[in-house]
Amino acid sequence: MNTLDAHRWLADHGDYLFRVARRQLHSDALAEDAVQETLLAALTAQARYAGDASPRTWLTGILKHKIVDLIRRQLREVEIPRDADGEEAVDSLFKQDGHWAEPLRPWGNPQTEAELSQLRRVLGECAERLKPVMAQVFSLREVAGMETEEICKELAITPTNCWVMLHRARLFMRQCLELNGFGKAGAA
Amino acid sequence: MKWMATCKETTERASRAMDERLPIGDRVAMRLHLAICTNCRHFTQQLQDMRRLFRTETTANDEMSGLPPEARRRIATELQNKLAP
Repeated sequence: MNTLDAHRWLADHGDYLFRVARRQLHSDALAEDAVQETLLAALTAQARYAGDASPRTWLTGILKHKIVDLIRRQLREVEIPRDADGEEAVDSLFKQDGHWAEPLRPWGNPQTEAELSQLRRVLGECAERLKPVMAQVFSLREVAGMETEEICKELAITPTNCWVMLHRARLFMRQCLELNGFGKAGAA
Repeated sequence: MKWMATCKETTERASRAMDERLPIGDRVAMRLHLAICTNCRHFTQQLQDMRRLFRTETTANDEMSGLPPEARRRIATELQNKLAP
């Protein structure tokens, strides 16, 4: 028990934890930090690890908190875009009277592996173009499936702020997917 | 009071409905609008499509890449230091 275990965790689960963290943090450097902090915390807490969950499940649980910590730290450093570009981008989608500026078309259902892998690539690229903190909050909700209430509480932001960020991120991602050709094939 | 919600308002409600149960008034306003607006019906469907895609998106495409060797060495050193300073 101790360093041996910790090195084993790093060897066995390091890649997995890194990938989980990167999908939510959208940054290699932050994901590395998250893995490091997780393993250091696990080392301290290993006496409390009852062994009834698999090590991977247990470590992933710790990782989730570390990811939230890292996002919270960034929120403190970065001013959340309140109105500036976010509001304008949203407004450009609608006419003055609040109706859609352009008609929407339903998306096809990507079936083949080629379509899906193309889509995954586009999803990743679109997320990269969101403001980092917005992408991170969005991923906590849509990728990790955390409840909004939990996200607001953990990140210490107001529900309104949280919800505005999610809504803008969704509008942006939808738009970005379409601009990158998603849905066009279904309509053709 | 307007008699019918706009598309913009409806997208806000539809987005929020992805996160929590809407108050009854918002729910009714949203359904009334959706009943007459094809665009907003597509939009709400797309919100669900996106969620499904994100949640089922496998890690297949980043399965190749893992923790970079340099980071792995750094973390191993940190772990070592923590136990045997």
